[in-house]
Amino acid sequence: MAMLEIKDLNVFYGGIHALKGISLEVEQGQIVSMIGSNGAGKSSMMNAISGLVKYKSGEIIYKGEKLPTQANKVVKAGICQVPEGRLIFANLTTYENLMIGAYLRSDKDTIARDLKRVYEIFPRLEERKNQIAGTLSGGEQQMLAMGRGIMSAPDVIMLDEPSLGLAPLLINTIFETIKEIKAMGKTILLVEQNALKALSVADKAYVLEQGRITKSGPGIELLKDPQIAEAYLGKSK
Amino acid sequence: MEYYLQQLVNGICLGGMYALMSVGYSLVYSIMNFSNFAHGGVIMVGAYVGYFALTALGCPFLVTFLLCGLGSGILAIIIERLVYSPLRKRHAPSLYFIISAMGASIFLENFVIAVIDGTPRNYPEIFNQYIHIGNLSLGYDSLLMIIVTAVSLLLLMFIIQKTKIGLAIRACSYNEKAATLMGINGDLVIFVIFLMGGVLAGFAGMLYGMRFIVKPTIGLITNKSFVAAVFGGLGSLPGAILGSVLLGIMEIFVASWNSAYRDLFVYALLIIVLVVKPSGLMGKITEDKA
Repeated sequence: MAMLEIKDLNVFYGGIHALKGISLEVEQGQIVSMIGSNGAGKSSMMNAISGLVKYKSGEIIYKGEKLPTQANKVVKAGICQVPEGRLIFANLTTYENLMIGAYLRSDKDTIARDLKRVYEIFPRLEERKNQIAGTLSGGEQQMLAMGRGIMSAPDVIMLDEPSLGLAPLLINTIFETIKEIKAMGKTILLVEQNALKALSVADKAYVLEQGRITKSGPGIELLKDPQIAEAYLGKSK
Repeated sequence: MEYYLQQLVNGICLGGMYALMSVGYSLVYSIMNFSNFAHGGVIMVGAYVGYFALTALGCPFLVTFLLCGLGSGILAIIIERLVYSPLRKRHAPSLYFIISAMGASIFLENFVIAVIDGTPRNYPEIFNQYIHIGNLSLGYDSLLMIIVTAVSLLLLMFIIQKTKIGLAIRACSYNEKAATLMGINGDLVIFVIFLMGGVLAGFAGMLYGMRFIVKPTIGLITNKSFVAAVFGGLGSLPGAILGSVLLGIMEIFVASWNSAYRDLFVYALLIIVLVVKPSGLMGKITEDKA
């Protein structure tokens, strides 16, 4: 049984049919990547899972049961989204941002343990724990957003465009971190425009085009697909 | 010299009362991005609760004070549930909220006129002693006002800065979507800010009643606390408090020079702030790194 399963999901924004019956499966402990161009519906899918967007029809099954549609209950159930554009709380300190991640948790010991873990993965965040998050650099803000996600102790962590707007060197760091998060035993759903990176780390990948899934398979296989190479990796035939 | 000191104390008293009112405006603005003009009505009802608790029920001061907070707190939540909550569910633009708030304010005023009446009422005298510090005479009520205001505001700041729900409020005030994604229940945050704003409004209503008179239109006078919130920076609690105290002091000094200029000064300040520095003294941070 898949950890997270989406069946025939339809999402409308006003009159626009953003997701046209997509289905996908995310197995426990895997990295599942979804690639696609701007406006393909990647964020809509994540927001539908997170309960920010209502879906018209279809099912989202999590651990064998229907996933709640209220955002706070989705987090409680163990699915956390690290949103596009980080959306860190620029008015709070780094530490407070991380604590917001742990908002629904009450066990102090496990929170302290996870905080230590986050600081191990991102030593920068510990150095800047009392700094107002709005003054962090773009890369540090991405680290903070991911750290904040980890602090909610999710089973599934959804990363929306984590490499967006970052320098190439930082992008490598972020993808190394994604592997580390996987090593922590988390399941990862990754949405990316950087197809090369996203497919390289993926156990399984989906291609989303204009609200439909057009291809799926192991990341390595999709990397070799000539059509994908041309459309997403900037290689000519 | 004593004269100016005395006026300064009066200014701080007035400013403290404005602060109790303006933090309610600021709390709501910081989360929901609209100016809750029904707040004046909530303060007015608080003043009436105090009046009847003292006269009809003969409650002691402290009990009356708590009843005022309770009454206004409940009223603020009822208004949120009945008026704003349906608009929130529909994602209505802030203009709808402002107009509904004004409607609620006018409703409350007329409701009180219809159910009670429109005649101004005086609170019975609670404290008539004075203490003298040098040549300065300080009424017990003024002293009490300053203490009560300071304690309430410190408590509010403590909740906002040090507790979990306070952290959630600050997170929501920056970005509600991100806060939701972290599992924060927006409805709960809104419930809490209306409750806290309402309770402080009730306290302010009672203090107002003790110092001035109670009538259905005193909600209008709270417009000045709105000016104070704008002056301090809408959405910022320390800003609202600072703006209120400064406005109170300035207003008293202007009035002591020529009382005809009192309101003229306050509203001129509002216009100047909106034109020159709309974010006020310490307005909400809005810049974000993409």
